Amino acid sequence: MPEPVLSIRDLTVEFSTEDGVVSAVTDVNYDVFPGEILGVIGESGAGKSVSVMTMLDLIPKPPGKVLSGEAIFKGRDLLTMSKRDLRDVRGGDIAMIFQDPMTSLNPVLTVGSQIAEAVLAHNRDADDDSARDRAIELLRLVGVPNPEQRFDQYPHEFSGGMRQRGMIAMAIANEPSMLIADEPTTALDVTIQAQIVEVLRTAQRETHAATILITHDLGLIAELADRVCVMYAGRVVELSDVYTIFNSPRHPYTVGLMNSLPRVDVDQEMLQPIPGQPPSMIAPPPGCAFHPRCLHSRGRVVCRTDVPPLRTFGEGADHLSACHFAEELAEAHVVGIGAEQPA
Amino acid sequence: MLTYIIRRLLYSVVVLLVASFLIFTFVTVSGDPLSFLKMSPGVSQETIANITERKHLDDPIIVRYGYWLRDAVTDQFGTTIIGERKIMPDIQRVMGHTLQLIIAAELLAITLAISIGVYSALRQYSVFDYLATTFSFLGLATPVFWLALMLQVLFVNVYLWWDIRIFYTANLSGVDPGGGIDFVLDRAQHLALPVIVLSIANIATYSRYMRGAMLEVINSDYVRTARAKGLKERRVIMRHAFRNALIPLTTVVALNFGALIGGVVVTETVFALDGMGFYFINALNSGDPYPVMAWLMIVSTGVIVFNLLADITYGILDPRVRHD
Ligand SMILES: Nc1ncnc2c1ncn2[C@@H]1O[C@H](COP(=O)(O)OP(=O)(O)OP(=O)(O)O)[C@@H](O)[C@H]1O
Ligand SMILES: [Mg+2]
Repeated sequence: MPEPVLSIRDLTVEFSTEDGVVSAVTDVNYDVFPGEILGVIGESGAGKSVSVMTMLDLIPKPPGKVLSGEAIFKGRDLLTMSKRDLRDVRGGDIAMIFQDPMTSLNPVLTVGSQIAEAVLAHNRDADDDSARDRAIELLRLVGVPNPEQRFDQYPHEFSGGMRQRGMIAMAIANEPSMLIADEPTTALDVTIQAQIVEVLRTAQRETHAATILITHDLGLIAELADRVCVMYAGRVVELSDVYTIFNSPRHPYTVGLMNSLPRVDVDQEMLQPIPGQPPSMIAPPPGCAFHPRCLHSRGRVVCRTDVPPLRTFGEGADHLSACHFAEELAEAHVVGIGAEQPA
Repeated sequence: MLTYIIRRLLYSVVVLLVASFLIFTFVTVSGDPLSFLKMSPGVSQETIANITERKHLDDPIIVRYGYWLRDAVTDQFGTTIIGERKIMPDIQRVMGHTLQLIIAAELLAITLAISIGVYSALRQYSVFDYLATTFSFLGLATPVFWLALMLQVLFVNVYLWWDIRIFYTANLSGVDPGGGIDFVLDRAQHLALPVIVLSIANIATYSRYMRGAMLEVINSDYVRTARAKGLKERRVIMRHAFRNALIPLTTVVALNFGALIGGVVVTETVFALDGMGFYFINALNSGDPYPVMAWLMIVSTGVIVFNLLADITYGILDPRVRHD
């Protein structure tokens, strides 16, 4: 396997809030390889955004605090880098696309000037004119019609989909080697979502950037991702290639996610939502954070006492699961668990 | 934008007309404008009859309103009852003085408040932030007349004890203010205390506004986007945060400025400044309704004009509300 572009190691991030300390991200480890799309899925509050924003120092500190960890990007740790070096990485070698295009653009500046700003920030020899030309070229690339006129318009004159195209144009302005898209389609209409997915695909093809794609949308994962990282309560609970995740998940949470999907290949009576509520991140359940909702634990003590490590389990080195009983899941299989709900 | 301004101006004229009618009615029914003269011993019946005749005081209110409105428009609010003094030149004079006072106070308040507000927001929960919060509550809670008196006592005593004249504690100018730079210095020494008194409460209010707006903006998604682009922190703050945070303050300042024209009564009275507030108190005491009504009209106009200015600046700063 090639060297990863990015390796996140033992990342732990907390937020101090009035109600207590929120363990947003705990011992997170994953790699991103050149040119691949790594999908990150998990419930709301699972720590998906925090884990990526911490790398670029974009979480508010305080209340946020990085307790431990490294984020090795091209051989350098982003978390200990000087502010100046990190600034060069931000928007240069690593670019982000955020969830809500309605609020992610500055309302009082033209869309074009905001894209040009990204160009100027990373190119010493660019001037206003060349930055404008580049921004227009980028707008055209992401499929904004009449880019010359659109350049001088304000965000409120753009539709949601067009704004997200603008955000993508801004992100790829400096041909990053890594793109982070945090729920890039969540805030958009379904029809627009499909278009934005196409734009993302184009952007990725143009830049060959390794991409972290955070989403709730398993369809999007199936369509775009090469590998998938499943997060639950601030931890990575399963990590594998997309085919394996969909076809032989080895963590009960992932199994639950798959059962909550409508499928055409299996005869289903009804969709199976995962029972229970997402855990409190202030006082997470002891042991495996998923055990109160787990259909597979069957009250076994170890689930309540020991935090299961993320490990391989005899199915090859690149399938990792954080379940004490990952092996058993191979026999139970997806449908099996859905069928034998405990009374 | 232009059509919007024209529409607003036309609308303002209607508002002013309604205001003028209300002002005239209320001031007129609130007392007999001649009662003061009638009680004065040296005033003859003839004089009173003359005045009644000239000001149409025997006519129904609506007719008198018509005459008054005509005078207001064609003759700059006409003359006072007593002494037949032209009203407008007096108001122009005191307006000039009041504007000096307000503009200086507002400039001071705005610069200080913006600095304090921005710095508090950037260092939220720091010692500075807590101090600023405490002082702004103190500033808001301090009665203007009390503060004014305390400052007078302080500077009078400084003068008496050490024979040092830092600030004057009353009037607009010295006996012989001189000309040119001497005049300006003399005026500054006279206006300093009233300016401080007048700006204290505004520094408190504005800095709170600025802090709140800045905090909101700093935590906004688009500031995060600006950081994620790799911009320098200075640029993030100045170009992306500061400008947006100024928008709400602009409106508050413009509205407040209009209101201040009439709101300087206490300060001007304590410092014996020949300004709008001082003029108003004198007009009320004289029992003559004509300067009172003229004053009310002019202050109303000021408020309306600054309302309009507030909207226009808002439109300039925020492209989303640019009217067409
Ligand atoms: N600024 C903050 N202050 C306090 N807690 C925070 C802050 N930002 C995030 N958190 C907490 O960190 C945890 C992880 O948040 P995160 O935003 O990473 O979730 P997510 O997986 O991205 O969810 P979503 O799908 O809703 O975006 C949550 O419990 C959240 O409440
Ligand atoms: Mg998120």
